[in-house]
Amino acid sequence: MERNHLQRRAAYMRETLFDQGYLDEQFIQLEDLQDDANPNFVEEVVKLFYTDSARFIRNIELALDNSTHHDFEKLDDIMHQFKGSSSSIGAEKVKRECTQFQEYCKAGNLEGCKRTFQQVKQENATLKRKLESYFQLKRQAS
Amino acid sequence: MELNSEADEDTKKEQEQKEEEKEKQHFHVLAVDDSNIDRKLLERLLTVSSYQVTCVDSGDKALEYLGLLDIQESEISRTSSISSCSSSSSKSSEKEVSKVNLIMTDYSMPGITGYDLLKRVKRSSWKDVPVVVMSSENIPSRITIRCLEGGAEEFLLKPVKLADMRKLHSHLLNTTNIHDTIIDSDHNNNTNKRKASSPEDSDRRTRIQELPVS
Repeated sequence: MERNHLQRRAAYMRETLFDQGYLDEQFIQLEDLQDDANPNFVEEVVKLFYTDSARFIRNIELALDNSTHHDFEKLDDIMHQFKGSSSSIGAEKVKRECTQFQEYCKAGNLEGCKRTFQQVKQENATLKRKLESYFQLKRQAS
Repeated sequence: MELNSEADEDTKKEQEQKEEEKEKQHFHVLAVDDSNIDRKLLERLLTVSSYQVTCVDSGDKALEYLGLLDIQESEISRTSSISSCSSSSSKSSEKEVSKVNLIMTDYSMPGITGYDLLKRVKRSSWKDVPVVVMSSENIPSRITIRCLEGGAEEFLLKPVKLADMRKLHSHLLNTTNIHDTIIDSDHNNNTNKRKASSPEDSDRRTRIQELPVS
């Protein structure tokens, strides 16, 4: 009984993540690649994403903090990689903020970059929290 | 006769599928991408599709694996775990590498880009190996055109999906590799020791020039 209830909660949580636009269909692609022989594939990929995103965020922070000269091309380059990773796991909101950041880079708008960067960090942290809860729930339900 | 035809159709289809799976297991794909997430994804996509996969994280490593680095370069990168390069000429290194039937490469990578890699491969004795370029930029523009003009057989938009794997198979079947593997499987199914394509093969191979149908 308990297990069924937890499974339903996990399914509901998953649906909400899609409905609220945190995840897109690429996440389903990852799920389709998971099987009994590779039961943790999705979680492994997500973990890789969080290692990468921490690094990207750190590098952007360093590049933005440079008060003398701002290399928009470098910022754009880092964000392009970050965007690629978020796209690969289906992190829709994070990806959108990355795109916005790149727009500001192309326009050479530093304030816009800094503002959007806060959004990127926020969306990244929010999704991380939600996915961690989701995976935990799934573990408890199995 | 009529009563059996449907059952025959089913077993025939099953047999065809089994044969296709068997063919695929002979195919070795070299995947090149600097993103560890994308490498993991590619590795899984290709494995699920029954191909053998080798993933490398840079154009340099890909060239090394294919034995296309010159002697100086190969000595510098000796620390790499890929053991294909010997201290002799690059020609003999090529023969040590197990066959590669398809190369999939990301377009934008630091150092040697996917485009650079494409050009290097197409200039080499690996030139008949199909090269697929992947990129997250979806403007069917300079990247796509540039790569297709550069000799790439296919362009894939990232993130790469399971459905894209079907496109690979058609490129693999277009080469004469399939003849090699069928002949080999007749001789007790040994693994193909020589590389899949060689300069002599290019003469009897017809190149499919038009854009692939997706």
